[in-house]
Amino acid sequence: MITLYDYALSGNCYKVRLLLNILQVPFSARAMDFHPGREHKSDWFLKLNPLGQLPVINDEGLLLREAQAILVYLASRYDASGHWYPRQDAAALGRIGQWLGFAEGLTATAGAARRHDTLFVEVDIGKCRAGAHALLRILDEHLWFAEQAGERWLCTAEWPSIADLACFPYVMLSEEGGISRLPYPAIRRWAERVKRVPGFIPMSGIFPASAA
Amino acid sequence: MNRWFAVSACDAVPPGHVAYTQLLGQELVLWRSAAGVLNAWENRCPHRGVRLTLGSCVGEELRCQYHAWRFASGSGQCTHIPSHPQQKPASTIRAQVFPLCEDGSFAWVNLTRDALPSPHPAASLDTALRSIFARAPVAAVRQVLLQGYGGHSVGLGDEFTLSVPDQKLQFMLQPVTEAQTIIHARLRGDLNAAERMTIFRHHNALLSVARDQAEAAA
Amino acid sequence: MNASQPIESVLWDDWHPVAELVQLQRTGISGTMLLGVPLTLTLAADGAVSATGAPQGTLVPMPHVQIRYGLVWLCLGTPARDIVDFPETREPDRVVCTGGSVAVAVSGLRAVENFLDLGHLAFVHAGYLGEEPHTEICAYKVEPLAEGGILATQCRVYQPRPSPMESQGFEVDYIYAVRRPYVVVLFKANPVEKERMDMIALLAQPVTEERCIAHVLMAYPPHNVDVASLRWFQQLIFGQDRPILENQVPKRLPLDPRSEISVRADSSSAHYRRWLSAVGVRYGAVPAAAA
Repeated sequence: MITLYDYALSGNCYKVRLLLNILQVPFSARAMDFHPGREHKSDWFLKLNPLGQLPVINDEGLLLREAQAILVYLASRYDASGHWYPRQDAAALGRIGQWLGFAEGLTATAGAARRHDTLFVEVDIGKCRAGAHALLRILDEHLWFAEQAGERWLCTAEWPSIADLACFPYVMLSEEGGISRLPYPAIRRWAERVKRVPGFIPMSGIFPASAA
Repeated sequence: MNRWFAVSACDAVPPGHVAYTQLLGQELVLWRSAAGVLNAWENRCPHRGVRLTLGSCVGEELRCQYHAWRFASGSGQCTHIPSHPQQKPASTIRAQVFPLCEDGSFAWVNLTRDALPSPHPAASLDTALRSIFARAPVAAVRQVLLQGYGGHSVGLGDEFTLSVPDQKLQFMLQPVTEAQTIIHARLRGDLNAAERMTIFRHHNALLSVARDQAEAAA
Repeated sequence: MNASQPIESVLWDDWHPVAELVQLQRTGISGTMLLGVPLTLTLAADGAVSATGAPQGTLVPMPHVQIRYGLVWLCLGTPARDIVDFPETREPDRVVCTGGSVAVAVSGLRAVENFLDLGHLAFVHAGYLGEEPHTEICAYKVEPLAEGGILATQCRVYQPRPSPMESQGFEVDYIYAVRRPYVVVLFKANPVEKERMDMIALLAQPVTEERCIAHVLMAYPPHNVDVASLRWFQQLIFGQDRPILENQVPKRLPLDPRSEISVRADSSSAHYRRWLSAVGVRYGAVPAAAA
């Protein structure tokens, strides 16, 4: 049974919970006292992840940190359909890798702005917000053209990939960091499609699609 | 102001979708019912003031995210209050509706509540290009476009409409707030599949340059 | 808010939470704001806390600072009474902890009212504090508290997952007590000990009229409870409320009953708004129009 070291309000932890739920892989969540206890910086946790960050998974002795890396592992190991991380398609893997990198940029900008506005973390807030807007503008343009080409997902045509899951949380939580998504209508349509993926679960701050 | 403004390409709001925009500082929830009716309402639930853009479309109704009150497409009338499911909501409970009409490719909204639908011809052979959001006042955007577009001269129709006649191209400016503008654009006539993406990218690039110039000037 | 109009005594001369102690212990010094007044809090080596602020423009020491319940409390004026009391925290077997303070871009009065609200539980907290089709809110009782404030009792909601300890649903009895304009305490029936109730208090720090910090204090009977799980659950639930709160228009709480529509399920909210008007609260509110 996979153990996930987890925090309810972490977008990065949510990426892992989301894929685990979509793939219907059972797991046990260890709730970490991230705030205010900072348990992720405690001695015992630093032995699991010297970076002192969440999420971390332990799959029968395999320890992994970094949300994007965990998504790659879970999709490779547990996705029988092969859609979430199509290992046989080098070009698709390259594009997915590109957008996993983009997701890191979202964490560092929109994610940081959110931590500043909610949890009092010190950052250069103007720079974070401007950085997030620059990324969202690129994402919106990319998604608009993808739609015009009949593609419903970030970098794959027919099925979503882990790239969509990796970018989704910090995009959807951007307003908690003072970043409005009014200028990005294509992102809004893509987000609705992600919410309708079978097995989708929300996190605090993200509402599910209507039952319709 | 009794005037019609383009606020969205029609196909940017597919059935069941809830979109968010703003016109002259007025926040709008723009949503299309399952049957295809497009609505523009004040973005505020009359119950506890929560933005309706957090909500979702359920058939012919918009459901507020907070208490799941439901409001009917068209009238904005409240149809269901889940905390009192057996009661019919008072007819005074309604979302604020703004007049809206679609011309085949764009949706137009008027902030004057009793405005009659505009005689916009249903120009169904037009192609909507990608709309561009600019962090610049509408005057700055207008100024940049009037200086020329891709080497072509641009004419002013009215304050918020410009055209490039030899390109069969029309721009419609949406003043979002005093400092933000959305540039909508349409091409007269249909595009064939082979040229569509090239033409979309071409105009997206030119309009992005115009946006950058307007933002730099602002 | 009129800059020359003083802030009403009911707020100015009362104690407000301004920091979670464990956070201040980590940094030693912390900047914050209360009722628009910037403050600096300093924790000395011996554990004593001191504060400076500029309520009238010049930087002065703030004499009325205390640590209680794992929070730092401050009064900008002259305290008219003691810090609001939570006797449950003194029951020796209870697990008592703060919940993790979170900043919210809305008036603290909106945050308190949301805490009182029952109609949203099945939607905003679906799967935890409520669930369709159990959406009907039956009539409950609201009455004034002798020491000021309001008390709501006989509230009852079906909850699929009422607390971190429970993975089974049941009908939960709720009692709410608004003890101060910015303080509300919730008592929930405990699943194991029927005579005792879980206590969760929301203490909103009015930073400005349109921003607050939600401090939380919890005191749970000891069955299957640990601090990490309590904090995880509390932050999960509050994290669901936060986007709702930050998207309320206006950000200040309208006290005029004609501004927003209320139904019978909103009884505690209607009483709360009337009580705020009666005790003269303006900060963080849109006062009712003069008759």
